[in-house]
Amino acid sequence: MDALTIGTIIKILIILAIVSAIAGFGTYIERKVLAFMQRRLGPMHVGPYGLLQIAADGIKLFTKEDIIPQNANKFIFSLAPVITAATAFIAMAALPLFPTFTIPEFLPLIGGAIVPSIVADINIGILFILGIMAAGLYGPLLAGMAQSNKWGIIGSARTAVQFLSYEVVTGLSVLAPIMLVGSLSLIDFNDAQASGIGSWLIWQQPIAFVLFLIAGFAETNRTPFDLLEHEAEIISGYVTEYSGLRWGMFFIGEYANMITISVIAAVVFCGGYNDLWFISGWLLFVLKVIFFFFLMLWVRAAWPHVRPDQMMWLCWKVLMPLAVINIVITGIVVML
Amino acid sequence: MEEIENNGIVSLIIDGKICTAKEGEYILNVARANSIFIPAICYLTRCSPTLACRICLVEADGKRVYACNAKVKDGMNVVVSNEEILEERKAIMQVYDVNHPLQCGVCDQSGSCELQNYTLEIGVDEQPYRIADVQRESSNWSSVLHYDPALCIVCERCVTVCKDMIGDSALTTGPRGGEGLDKELKDTMPKDAYSMWNKLQKSVIAPSNETDQTNCSDCGECIAVCPVGALVSRDFVYTANSWELTKVPATCAHCSSGCQIYYETKPTSIANRYEKIYRVTNEWNYVSLCGAGRFGYDFENRTASKDANALKDAVVAIKKADAIRFNSVITNEEALMLQTLKEKLGVKLINNDAKAFKDFMTYFANAKGSTLSNGNIRTMMQESDFIISVGSALRNDNPNVRYLFNNIQKLNKGAGLYFHPIGDKVIENLGKNVACIENKINSEEAVLYWILDNFADKEKLPAEVKDYLASLSTTTKKTISETVMEDVVETVVDEATGESKEVTKKVPKKVDKEIEVNKSKLLEIFGAPSDFADTIEKFLAKKENFSLVVGEDLYFHPRSKNLAILVALIESTTPFNIAIIPPKTNSLGVSLICDLDDECSGYVIGYNEVGDFRLSALGDGDLDMPAMNQQEGTLTNMHKRVVPTNAALSYNGYILNDILNELGMGERLTIDWTKELPVKEGFEAREFDSLPNGYNNDGSENRGYGLKSQKVKATESLPKEISSNEMSADVMAYRCNPQRQFNEFTATAHQIFEPFALYASEEKASELGSRVAIDLDGTEFVLDVKIDDRMSGDIVKLPDFKHSFEIYKFFGQNRFKSISIRKA
Amino acid sequence: MAHIEEHKDTQAIQREKQNYIMLDLGKTPQFGIPAFIQVVKRSLSRELLKGLGVTFREMINALFKGKLHTTQYPFEKLPIAPRYRAIHEMLRLLESGHYRCIGCGLCEKICISNCIAMETRYDENQRKEVSEYTINFGRCIFCGYCAEVCPELAIVHGGRYENASEQRAGFSLFEDMLTPIDKLKEQNEFAGFGSISPNADENIKKTPLAY
Repeated sequence: MDALTIGTIIKILIILAIVSAIAGFGTYIERKVLAFMQRRLGPMHVGPYGLLQIAADGIKLFTKEDIIPQNANKFIFSLAPVITAATAFIAMAALPLFPTFTIPEFLPLIGGAIVPSIVADINIGILFILGIMAAGLYGPLLAGMAQSNKWGIIGSARTAVQFLSYEVVTGLSVLAPIMLVGSLSLIDFNDAQASGIGSWLIWQQPIAFVLFLIAGFAETNRTPFDLLEHEAEIISGYVTEYSGLRWGMFFIGEYANMITISVIAAVVFCGGYNDLWFISGWLLFVLKVIFFFFLMLWVRAAWPHVRPDQMMWLCWKVLMPLAVINIVITGIVVML
Repeated sequence: MEEIENNGIVSLIIDGKICTAKEGEYILNVARANSIFIPAICYLTRCSPTLACRICLVEADGKRVYACNAKVKDGMNVVVSNEEILEERKAIMQVYDVNHPLQCGVCDQSGSCELQNYTLEIGVDEQPYRIADVQRESSNWSSVLHYDPALCIVCERCVTVCKDMIGDSALTTGPRGGEGLDKELKDTMPKDAYSMWNKLQKSVIAPSNETDQTNCSDCGECIAVCPVGALVSRDFVYTANSWELTKVPATCAHCSSGCQIYYETKPTSIANRYEKIYRVTNEWNYVSLCGAGRFGYDFENRTASKDANALKDAVVAIKKADAIRFNSVITNEEALMLQTLKEKLGVKLINNDAKAFKDFMTYFANAKGSTLSNGNIRTMMQESDFIISVGSALRNDNPNVRYLFNNIQKLNKGAGLYFHPIGDKVIENLGKNVACIENKINSEEAVLYWILDNFADKEKLPAEVKDYLASLSTTTKKTISETVMEDVVETVVDEATGESKEVTKKVPKKVDKEIEVNKSKLLEIFGAPSDFADTIEKFLAKKENFSLVVGEDLYFHPRSKNLAILVALIESTTPFNIAIIPPKTNSLGVSLICDLDDECSGYVIGYNEVGDFRLSALGDGDLDMPAMNQQEGTLTNMHKRVVPTNAALSYNGYILNDILNELGMGERLTIDWTKELPVKEGFEAREFDSLPNGYNNDGSENRGYGLKSQKVKATESLPKEISSNEMSADVMAYRCNPQRQFNEFTATAHQIFEPFALYASEEKASELGSRVAIDLDGTEFVLDVKIDDRMSGDIVKLPDFKHSFEIYKFFGQNRFKSISIRKA
Repeated sequence: MAHIEEHKDTQAIQREKQNYIMLDLGKTPQFGIPAFIQVVKRSLSRELLKGLGVTFREMINALFKGKLHTTQYPFEKLPIAPRYRAIHEMLRLLESGHYRCIGCGLCEKICISNCIAMETRYDENQRKEVSEYTINFGRCIFCGYCAEVCPELAIVHGGRYENASEQRAGFSLFEDMLTPIDKLKEQNEFAGFGSISPNADENIKKTPLAY
């Protein structure tokens, strides 16, 4: 095997390990951020500042009894969380996450391997990511339908409606930057914004950015669009009957998706991993991702969620027309 | 005595309600019978008025009287309360509350305290009076009595009940040493309250023998009547509060009185939640208990468990048994089960006490033409003024008959004759019109003939009897010359009394001489004292209502058949009401229900008795049985009533019904047998749950149902002549239990201390020494000698309450036995 | 702790009358253009951003100015009211140190969940002695009747509210609840249910006992 293949395998392992960890850590961050915003302390007692809370939660989830309801479709019930988690990670195959680096030669076996920033630098990266994320809707959909629970059914119905609707907005909102860059590769997006803050696409496509963010919230099932499992209305929606590890996989998937959306927003609209002045591009990139991630938590702390009908109204009557108009205008500008 | 019109019924108005009453009754009793509330602290329904509390003050026809001692008059209008009376009552209660400790929290009576109740009822909300208190230390009066004079309100109910009902007169009022009242109060405070206080301030209750220990039969009735917490049983003091105790109405199963009692139960302790009986209480206005009833309650079979193997063994044993030996401390239902076993399996039934009683009752019925005697002890207590007791050691055999005997003296101003070979100092002192005649052993025939001779309507007497009596009078003419004059007077009186009104007229002297001699012969046979005739004449003055109680000596008598016929004859020819006292708890029930057999050999099941296989409620048998406080059922008592008893404590083992069920003859529950009791013997086919167990406001019994007398064919109604059964030996033993001891169950109770020993009078005991060996037909027992300071004479008492000694076997058909004794 | 002080302040404020302010929300348009206009207005009037601003400000306050409300419960405890009805305490007489309970059994009687049990006996000083006393806290509903009915102010409610246990029945014995003899000086009179009212003296009718 050549150095790149070994490096790619290493990269895959890194993503699986680190992103999973970060997804878990995300829950800790979320609890902490929400706590501070509500003048609380959040988890404090497991480890220093409650840092080991995720470990405790993880141990709990892993050791919990695995319960499959009697009348559930066992195969699909077991499959659904895997779909969610798998699609979330598959989407990351086309994402730039860290700078490319070479493993020092003196290490045995893997020495000299080149670890790429992107696992698979395919030229239709953004399309691949959006497609895989769209496929991820099968997770909640099948989960809700397989568990033979009324709340689950309602949850999966909402999944179908919400994900399908906002898929349109996501696609249309990203279409405008694609038209400007003229490529589907995320590397090209990055390169197109290499010349400083002024070149960031967010300035050229503010509407597309806002639409993408809104749609991203909806795609990741975050407040104010967390209708799939809204506790006050439908218990836990599609995860009502899930517990333990399977339930954890849904959450790893959700947090991985949050990272994916954050990365896309950073790469497509906010200058990617280009260096800025003297600041390392990758450091900046991580900060950008963290900001978007933080934004999601911040919004959850500040805003109430919307009703399903309001959400559909927003999607089809406001966001979709805006996105179309934005594309038309962008197209005209590009043509000129 | 007041003049009483026949059936004198008067009507009067009490508190606006029209009531009818017998003339001569007290207003308070009439009010109580008619559910009208008149406050009263010191008065007890069946005792004489004490006039200590004065709170029962009422206005009768505008005049202030005390309801407890004012008799009703026709057309009387009684006002129970008006402003003046209320003021007086309030003052009385305020006085009672002076210096009464306020630590109700630690008082045993709190919650059932009459002082609390009346203080609230009358509305004492301030305390205008005061006086310096004196130190009053609590003390123990006997092995059971605890007296706290600080709590005592000196209502004297204990004194009254002890004198008028129990007859011990062991309590009296003593000096308190309190400060005298301020003389000014006499003018300022209500009159009755002042005089009540004046008396209260001078007295406390004390033992009447001027020591600090009571000399009494430890019946505890004073504890029952105490309205406050001053008198409490030593065992109960400070262990429970009245409201924590669950009252289980039941029937005392120690003697044939079958008194209504309440077992009061509560869990044993915090750690041990099994119920325990803390005390026994009674409706003290209507029934009085003896020491065994009140203190002998913890005889339950605690260790019983459902031992299936033992049950199997029992079934096997019963199948092969030749006989079942049992005693009469069982319920009617159990007796019926045993009878069923006899009918189905052919097993014999052996019951010593009931067999003799059954024989006696059969002879009695054959002579009379119907079962059961006519007399009723409860009516006797209310109406009788002359009582004769024959053949019963009243103090030991049946305390309630002793209370009857006493009550007749105290309340009905009556007279009493107590025929018994063993003298009894308590009976002697019950009243001045009481004579204890220490008749010769086995001379009861002569006593009964004497009654016939003196009280019978000569026209009703069969010619044979008349002739026999006449022959007795003629044969011994020569005997005593001096007493002839007196005798004559007496017998003439008797002649006149044959009808109904006996004692009122003086008799012409002419008749004297004929009958004088008749007397003396009979008197000689039973050994009357020389002044007997005088005594009788004095006793019979103005007496109208005669009672005769006969006891166990007559059933265990070589001539019991003749005695039974004589008793029947007395009932039919004299004005006597006769009560026949069953020897043991349920002897009457057992004798009616079971066909009893004579002793036999072979394989014997012993139910609380000796046997090859033992069923026992004492926890020492091969199969456990429930004790009387652990089972439901009915008992037939000496009042000829079938009364229910309930289970106060849980029982974990098997019952007789389980054995019958194993044999395929059982009912679902023991109490399902109640309705099966033999109707042809006088029982009713009534469900157990329909049997009440209480008293009505007027004191009448509302318990179970009365047995019905059954007609039988009169076959043998002529008594035989007296035959001599004289017994003589250096020591005569009398089969008799110590007082408060009736059976093995009372012996188990921790507050009954009387041991299984030889009881003798003081003189005899000092002669015998402290420990003796008794030779009973070759079997030797070594027993302690205990002094019974209320006995007199040389005869000793040998108890039978422990089955293992098989005392019945040695005594046989006689309660007396000559024994040989040597010091051990 | 700052927040504990704040808690006390809040209690003080709560005692004052509260002023409610009604928001003017206007009319909610039901359909069409007006609704759309409202959405646009609200979206563009920075209302959403205000919300974000408030939460961010609070986060900064919490992180850097220590304005936190959290009481880190088992390590920190809020002071409880003197009338709080938690685990019972058996008080002693201040003068002699003897326990106040006289064993009257009124608490046992009045207890509506039937969780009090006691044993008494006649002791060698001819007094009623409480030999055993238990409360089953698995059953106790902390109604306070026992404290109210106690004639000696012997059984009162205390502040010990942590009564989680591994068993349903949790028995406390007399000694567990009795003020330790060495802490007699720290024993406080209970101010709650069953205590003497502040004007108790006025309600007492005087009895002539001065002889």
